Amino acid sequence: MSGTERAIAFRLNGEAVSADAPVRMHAADFLRHRLGWTGTHVGCEQGVCGMCTILVDGAAIKSCLMLAVQLDGAEVTTVEALAEGDRLNAAQESFKRHHALQCGYCTPGFLMLAESLKASGRTLSRAEVREELVGVLCRCTGYENILRAVEEYLNADEPEASR
Amino acid sequence: MKSADFAYHRPGDIAEAVRHLQDYDGGARVLAGGQSLMPMMNMRLWRPDAVVDINGLTDLAELTAEGDETRIGALVRYSTLEFSPLVAERLPLLKAMVAFVGDRQVRNRGTIGGSLVQGDPTGEMPLGCLVLGATVSVLGPSGAHTIAMEDLYEGAYTATLAPDEVLTEVRVPPHPPHFAFRECCRRHNDFCVLSVAATGRMADDGRWRGLRIGLGGVNDTPVLAEASMALLEGSRLDDADIAAAGGAALRAIDPPDDIRGSAEYRAHLVPIYVARVLRDLRASAQAAAR
Repeated sequence: MSGTERAIAFRLNGEAVSADAPVRMHAADFLRHRLGWTGTHVGCEQGVCGMCTILVDGAAIKSCLMLAVQLDGAEVTTVEALAEGDRLNAAQESFKRHHALQCGYCTPGFLMLAESLKASGRTLSRAEVREELVGVLCRCTGYENILRAVEEYLNADEPEASR
Repeated sequence: MKSADFAYHRPGDIAEAVRHLQDYDGGARVLAGGQSLMPMMNMRLWRPDAVVDINGLTDLAELTAEGDETRIGALVRYSTLEFSPLVAERLPLLKAMVAFVGDRQVRNRGTIGGSLVQGDPTGEMPLGCLVLGATVSVLGPSGAHTIAMEDLYEGAYTATLAPDEVLTEVRVPPHPPHFAFRECCRRHNDFCVLSVAATGRMADDGRWRGLRIGLGGVNDTPVLAEASMALLEGSRLDDADIAAAGGAALRAIDPPDDIRGSAEYRAHLVPIYVARVLRDLRASAQAAAR
């Protein structure tokens, strides 16, 4: 039974992917080590730090708590989908403007959470945005600039304009 | 860390899921949202021989009103409960409590059935379902049966389901008009030190009937504060009633000493939190009467 693999097919950032996945491998490791998409970071591997947050069928989830084989048939979005070439998207621009990162390790997690909040269409107070962001930890900056960046991104009138 | 190896099954229907569980004779685990099982597997606290992934069983993800009863499929995710108009209208206590579960990503993925089977003593869903008098439907090799929430646990993290049974649905009876919930956490969104939920109905004569109080985090399992409930039956929830009920709640507890608080600290908090929740309940009825 050791090394059991299973064939899966899903869409990653708009493109079809077919690959074999070891059943014991979590989705974050699969994206990084099997597919080479290293934008998704891995931290605690126990669902606490939120580094590995990606979108699966539009919902922000922690990819260390999902098996790679569970991506089968899903629409998966990672941080690599945000920029177009060298052009940052509005969320990334907002992080840059507000100096919402230092080492950057947590940034993909925050960006993907911000994307899912934007897509939800909910109107959120600052307190609610703060509450929505608790599932990603940052050990450098304190959270104030991250909060400002996400809030500005969510409140921007034309979210797609800078894309 | 990474999980040890296991066999993976993705059944197409619930009967097939039960057959897989049977095949492994207690060595297989059901994978629903994975928000408890996956961390335990990654940390190798669990090394199941097989994982039976029920995420494809969409008929377990339904949320329906049937007469007075609300039925929640085992695979209904926290975020669905959080935003469902049906839950807001029919199960406001559960809606209030679900906001305290994990964080956004956990709520997007975790399920009510997973939470109930996991049986964390501090879990919000086990406590909420207990206070609301819910029963769960279970399917195993010998067929379906139901278990009342009061009988679902034999200890911490130990549901009374057999290893080859699957929890399929939560059935919640009519929700009383008033409810209140509070929990004490050392860190935002952490497992709580203790939690208290209460529901009740104030009759036209101003007296409370059928009041239920549940306590989380102060025993191996969520428990009803039955002595407090008996004291309050027919009372007006005045300050003296509330103080007496707070003290009587200590009879239901056998609190743990752990990293989040000592047993002594938890015992200190119980009367305080019970009293706060009962005052919230009284205020809710007073506001509704205006």
